[in-house]
Amino acid sequence: MRRAAGTGIRYVSGRLAQGLVVVLGAITISFVLIHLTGNPAEVLAGGQMSREQVDQLSKQLGYDRPLVVQYVEYLGNVVHGDLGNSFRFEEPAIKSVSHALPSTLLLVGTTILVACAFAIPTAVFSVRRRESLPDRALRRGLILGQGMPEFWLGLVLVLLFSVKLGWLPSIGLNGPESLVLPVATLALPLTAMLVRLLRAELLDIMTSDFVVALRSKGLTENSILLRHGLRNALIPFVTFLALQIGWLIGGTIIVESVFVWPGIGTLALSAVKVRDLAVIQAIVIVVALAYVVLNLIVDLVMMWIDPRIRTGAR
Amino acid sequence: MSTVAAAAAAAGRLTRPLRYNVSLRLGTALLLAIILFGVVGTFVLPDPNDQNLDDAYARPGSVAHPLGADALGRDILSWVSHGLLTGLAVSVSVVLLSAFVGVVVGLAAGYTGGLADGLLMRLVDLQLAIPPLLLFIAASAVVGTDFWSLVVLLSVVGWVPYARIVRSEVLAERERSYVAAARLAGARLPRVLFVHLLPATATLIIVLASLQAGIVLLWESGLSFLGLGLQPPTISLGFMISQGRSDLVEAWWIVTFPGLAIVLLVLAFNLLGDGLRDAFHLDVNVLGR
Repeated sequence: MRRAAGTGIRYVSGRLAQGLVVVLGAITISFVLIHLTGNPAEVLAGGQMSREQVDQLSKQLGYDRPLVVQYVEYLGNVVHGDLGNSFRFEEPAIKSVSHALPSTLLLVGTTILVACAFAIPTAVFSVRRRESLPDRALRRGLILGQGMPEFWLGLVLVLLFSVKLGWLPSIGLNGPESLVLPVATLALPLTAMLVRLLRAELLDIMTSDFVVALRSKGLTENSILLRHGLRNALIPFVTFLALQIGWLIGGTIIVESVFVWPGIGTLALSAVKVRDLAVIQAIVIVVALAYVVLNLIVDLVMMWIDPRIRTGAR
Repeated sequence: MSTVAAAAAAAGRLTRPLRYNVSLRLGTALLLAIILFGVVGTFVLPDPNDQNLDDAYARPGSVAHPLGADALGRDILSWVSHGLLTGLAVSVSVVLLSAFVGVVVGLAAGYTGGLADGLLMRLVDLQLAIPPLLLFIAASAVVGTDFWSLVVLLSVVGWVPYARIVRSEVLAERERSYVAAARLAGARLPRVLFVHLLPATATLIIVLASLQAGIVLLWESGLSFLGLGLQPPTISLGFMISQGRSDLVEAWWIVTFPGLAIVLLVLAFNLLGDGLRDAFHLDVNVLGR
């Protein structure tokens, strides 16, 4: 990621501007999406209406006006928080999304915590015993873990722990035990990815000059790794994690479908099946907004922790 | 030294990092085995779309259905071998199309800089902000998902990492003296881009392509699993897994074997990409999945 040079204020305003462009881009994409085939009314009709009915619907919903007019109107509505209405639930689309959002955030948040809890000790161990047999075996295992399709992993876990052993519920969200299988499914590929990243960062740090200085001062390898190595790896680690929020939410869609989880993934899938376009648009915008806000927060926290970012020094 | 010997020595220098590389060897062997299995299976095994209700839920282990059959009596082994070929075809098509578009855009943006470059970088940001899968799902409400539509849809997202990586490589390379020399010798822009700068980014592109192939397969099978991707008569591994979902309790094999096939193919691509990355000492990461 590029770092803007200069003072803190310039850095923050630069990031803010970039974030705004991303949100504007997401709004534009959600507009373009439903106009891809020309007339959204035809998508809504789904081939079930006559030509006249489609034209009438098109006129009624304002889809017969020039695209530029529609785009500017859409943009204005979104800025005022109006993301259209869900025709299925007969309520504002933003309301349907905000009902589903907490369950998804619960799933993603728990997954991140669990993945970090496993990834950090594993990476430290792997660096401490680098090129040993367990380290080599672990790295092969990580390649396997990164390539696990979530939908399949989820079903296999259901087969083992719900069907065969009967320990855990297989679907829905009823109490903390419902979290175990979906979180495990999402956390496995994420953990693999985080271990790889952190391992590479730590290896990089352990060969840097200041570590040589610490060694010559007589510090043990363990305390260098835990007290100095980890601290320096924290910033790239958290920044990377924040960038992964996008694909984590993508992965959530599949996991939600497998476990019938009442989140935005399930909402998106059901909305697509009945062509509830406003809800789909709202989800795209909300997800992009969540990503931008989260990354902005991470950037600010990192700037506060590490003055090198603030002053543009690397 | 004869020219043949010189050429052999040069080739030896180029391939040296590729030898003694366990990941690369494992990945290549696995990929070749999968291709062989897919091709032989297509000729030897029955048509995977053949339905025979007498064989419904046939257990694995029989001669007729070594990996069992699904609710409609479709043979899982043939489905897996055809499905692997479909997955390979989607991955390779998407990777080629994405690489072509991404490399052209990346070269141009990196070399000319300015507005085009700024636009590209905002697109890179945007791509990270909207999960690809969400975009595919949203798009499937309005566009069809036959084989080629799916390839184009996945490539709409897939080209961005190539552009990002090629761009940053070009930014570093364009200051080198050979680029200035080429310009002074009168080379036009396309020649500078494709003859002089492209070879400098070739290894990066190859590594990225093999890492991305696995991700594309996960996209395709995921979409097909959700019922928004490939449908019969096109054979997709993800589709069969979605079929076996409701029969998980009675017939574990319908889900298990096609899933294992996906895992193995993704593993082959990842080992290949990882081996190449180590061999060329490159730092390539495909953000997002």
